[in-house]
Amino acid sequence: NCDDGEVVIKFSHVTNTDRHPKGIAASLLETRVNEEMNGKACMQVFPNSTLYNDNKVLEAMLQGDVQLAAPSLSKFEKFTKKFRLFDLPFMFKDINAVETYQGSDAGKGLLDSMQRRGLQGLAYWHNGMKQMSASKPLLMPSDANGLKFRVQSSEVLVAQMEAIGGTPQKMAFSEVYGALQQGVVDGQENTWSNIYGKKFFEVQDGTTETNHGIIDYLLVTSVDWLESLKPDVRDQFLKIVAEVTAARNQESTAVNEAAKQSVIKAGGTVRSLTPEQRAAWVEVMKPVWAKFEKDVGADNIAAAQAANN
Amino acid sequence: MEVALLFLAIIVLLLIGVPIAVALGLSSILFLLAFSDSSLASIAQTLFSAFEGHYTLLAIPFFILASSFMSTGGVAKRIIRFSIACVGHFPGGLAIAGVFACMMFAALSGSSPATVVAIGTIVIAGMRQVGYTKEFAAGVICNAGTLGILIPPSIVMVVYAAAVEVSVGRMFLAGVIPGLLAGLSLMAAIYIMAKWKNLPKGEWAGWGEIYSSAKEASWGLLLIVIIMGGIYGGVFTPTEAAAVAAVYAWIIATFVYRDMGPLATEGETRNVSLFRQPSALLTALYHPDTRKTLFDAGKLTVTLLFVIANALILKHVLTDEQVPQQITETMLAYGFGPVMFLVAVNVILLIGGQFMEPSGLLVIVAPLVFPIAMELGIDPIHLGIIMVVNMEIGMITPPVGLNLFVTSGVAGMPMMAVVKAALPFLAVLFAFLIVVTYVPWISTVLPNAVMGPEIVTN
Amino acid sequence: MTIKPLSDRVEETATAAILGSMTVITFANVIARYVFDSGILWALEVTVFLFGWLVLLGAAYAVKIRAHLGVDVVTAGLTPPKRRILALLACAVCIVYAFLLLKGSWDYWANFANLPATEGRWFPLGFEDKFREKGWYETEDTPMPDIFGFRPLDWLQDVFNEGEVYEKIPRLVPYAVLPFAMALLLIRFVMAGIAIWRGRMEGLIASHEVEDAVDEAAKKLKDL
Ligand code: NA
Ligand code: NA
Repeated sequence: NCDDGEVVIKFSHVTNTDRHPKGIAASLLETRVNEEMNGKACMQVFPNSTLYNDNKVLEAMLQGDVQLAAPSLSKFEKFTKKFRLFDLPFMFKDINAVETYQGSDAGKGLLDSMQRRGLQGLAYWHNGMKQMSASKPLLMPSDANGLKFRVQSSEVLVAQMEAIGGTPQKMAFSEVYGALQQGVVDGQENTWSNIYGKKFFEVQDGTTETNHGIIDYLLVTSVDWLESLKPDVRDQFLKIVAEVTAARNQESTAVNEAAKQSVIKAGGTVRSLTPEQRAAWVEVMKPVWAKFEKDVGADNIAAAQAANN
Repeated sequence: MEVALLFLAIIVLLLIGVPIAVALGLSSILFLLAFSDSSLASIAQTLFSAFEGHYTLLAIPFFILASSFMSTGGVAKRIIRFSIACVGHFPGGLAIAGVFACMMFAALSGSSPATVVAIGTIVIAGMRQVGYTKEFAAGVICNAGTLGILIPPSIVMVVYAAAVEVSVGRMFLAGVIPGLLAGLSLMAAIYIMAKWKNLPKGEWAGWGEIYSSAKEASWGLLLIVIIMGGIYGGVFTPTEAAAVAAVYAWIIATFVYRDMGPLATEGETRNVSLFRQPSALLTALYHPDTRKTLFDAGKLTVTLLFVIANALILKHVLTDEQVPQQITETMLAYGFGPVMFLVAVNVILLIGGQFMEPSGLLVIVAPLVFPIAMELGIDPIHLGIIMVVNMEIGMITPPVGLNLFVTSGVAGMPMMAVVKAALPFLAVLFAFLIVVTYVPWISTVLPNAVMGPEIVTN
Repeated sequence: MTIKPLSDRVEETATAAILGSMTVITFANVIARYVFDSGILWALEVTVFLFGWLVLLGAAYAVKIRAHLGVDVVTAGLTPPKRRILALLACAVCIVYAFLLLKGSWDYWANFANLPATEGRWFPLGFEDKFREKGWYETEDTPMPDIFGFRPLDWLQDVFNEGEVYEKIPRLVPYAVLPFAMALLLIRFVMAGIAIWRGRMEGLIASHEVEDAVDEAAKKLKDL
């Protein structure tokens, strides 16, 4: 519980506290803030959507009811469509390229791009590269033809699934496991840590290591709240955020690799693509870029591509 | 301390006759304004999120609608005819048939009082005619009606699933074996009483009657296949299953049974065939019967969901104040083990059930006890079934019991008479609660077999 | 048969129509998936919006027809004059509730419609003069309606989004129900208070959810 006189920092997120990359980072941030800023600030973490889900948390932040959140990047396309960059398929070749882009001027610029609408990005938190799973083997894009895929609300992801001939479907996250198992939907896309954490691999024919996209989070706060902090409190807080981010992001590759190995150990099938197969996926999915180039900005895409080299 | 004040305010408001929804909502608002930084706007946001943020709850209006079409459309009387044909010739046959009919109607409807009204209206009268006392008839139906929320589909289970984010499909499966077990226990109790008190038994009407009554009832009973088969066969999500059930029930009531809508006729004359009046395909859509059923189901949805939405405001306030964490820490510090914990949950629910509408109570209590249950390694599905059985018992214990009210109204008996009548069977349900609480296998074996072991993903 | 006032018929028809639409949209999504091998991505979101509208608007009408659930063990045992006093007290409580929620609803919705929220924690003390407009804030999945080229909501873009095109309908549309429904609720509670004062209504609550059905059933049973 917070003492009188401490700045209360409420952090609402949607995962567990001890296994998910975001939850672990949030817990680490909580521990460090409460130890090092004792007397000045106090952080309360609300995990598992107990306080807000991802659709509502940004509204609540603009209202001043919560101070920190870390929704996935696609949630910010309501604020500026530039964030659609991160959903475009095969934009980044691996998580290092993502890291490079996010550290570039263009990437840092996105953190400040929503100030007009009241949000300040603080840091990118990695989950990892997305893989694709389905009720049958996916080796060529044509294998996905006619399958129903569960997707998040995102124009880009809908267009991506339609590009491979799939039918995008929306449903509550708590129903996805059952829906995959019973065949209400045939497949889904996610990072290794989510596929392992939610046990999706148990109810799928297999997972194909496509690395076709990313799931990352944006640690975000409200401009008004950040401005209201005393300078020394703000500086110390931002310093802790930066250190936690660096520490956890370094782990992300290892976390996902461990999750992948756990999937294999638990009997899940993992398929890799040959360079030719991968090229076929790129060829089918990449036209999606053109559709959203205007939203994202050609310069932004160029900056992202530069990070792949 | 402040939290105790909050609950005291709720109880006082309830007792002076404030609607449950307002008592929950206003107490939460006052608490929030007095003790926290949050604004009134955040309350409005929470109120709207009750719907926007809980896709799972959407199943409730659809199940209510399906059940309304079924009740209006005369499926109840066909189910009763079928169950009398099956078990009416046993000692206490009509009473046993009443339980059987409640079980079947429970598999079509998500609510206990709806089950009492649909089956009780016909069976209580029938039992009196063949020589049972009114008290005995009321006691049987009052108890068997509680199966409405244990045998899937179940509104209370949908609410539990939404409150703690478990799968609705899993909860429904978990209710099957306990539901059958509870029904069979009630039947066994009646059979023993019938032997002992020499209660009337009916005539064996032969296989022909079973066949023809089954054929008649099958259109209604097919709904069970649509709901359960649809969910587990991978055709629908539970919410979609509920909507399909509602559409199906409308079609059966209007075009097959023709007890409502443009093809229905007054009195005993045969209803009109669709071939004689094909325009009914269109006129049925806005026929007064359709509209009235939609409105009645809508009204019920409004009253239930307004309670649930305000209970979610209270839940939000408690979460915001980190009350669940504090309770968890306190209970674990006092060394509560699983057994003590489950006893405590049972007691809280039985007491809370005296003041609150069951689904509203669940919205408040489930998030408070869920974190402790997880710490103690209790299966979330098992916890859900325990809560549902508790709600059932709450419905038939005085002073406030939903099924007691409904039965007293349907049978035209004073409350206290119903209470006394329900007592012997209440003992059966109590024994059943103890068994369900301490034998998790009964609840978890079916969902685990069909859907794999539960994963606690939170 | 008595003729119902127009407002009753409007509210009853609206209730039936909203619930009917929710059912049809959800059903259509299933059909789309199996028959046409596609999905209606907006179906879920539109249905939950309708769900919210149904309950919030219906809550006001439920006051009038005395359908809100409550506990009557205490009040049922009282003499009519005492019962009336408690009913008036309960009504006052409800009016406070509806008033606070009306303020909260306006404060929540206003910024989404580029309007100022009210100042003051408990009571509205004038309008705020500095605030962030949120008219640009779109819903997740619901596209702007387009019925064969007829686009009934496009004017919202000029009014609330500086002429910029909305891909999805703005949140101000579904959320508008909040202040509207809470205003209705407040009016209905005041009217119920007047009715109780004049002795035309006995209380605010129904003791359980199937009172009407039970009355009908009891009548049927009596006839036997
Ligand atoms: Na049921
Ligand atoms: Na009770």
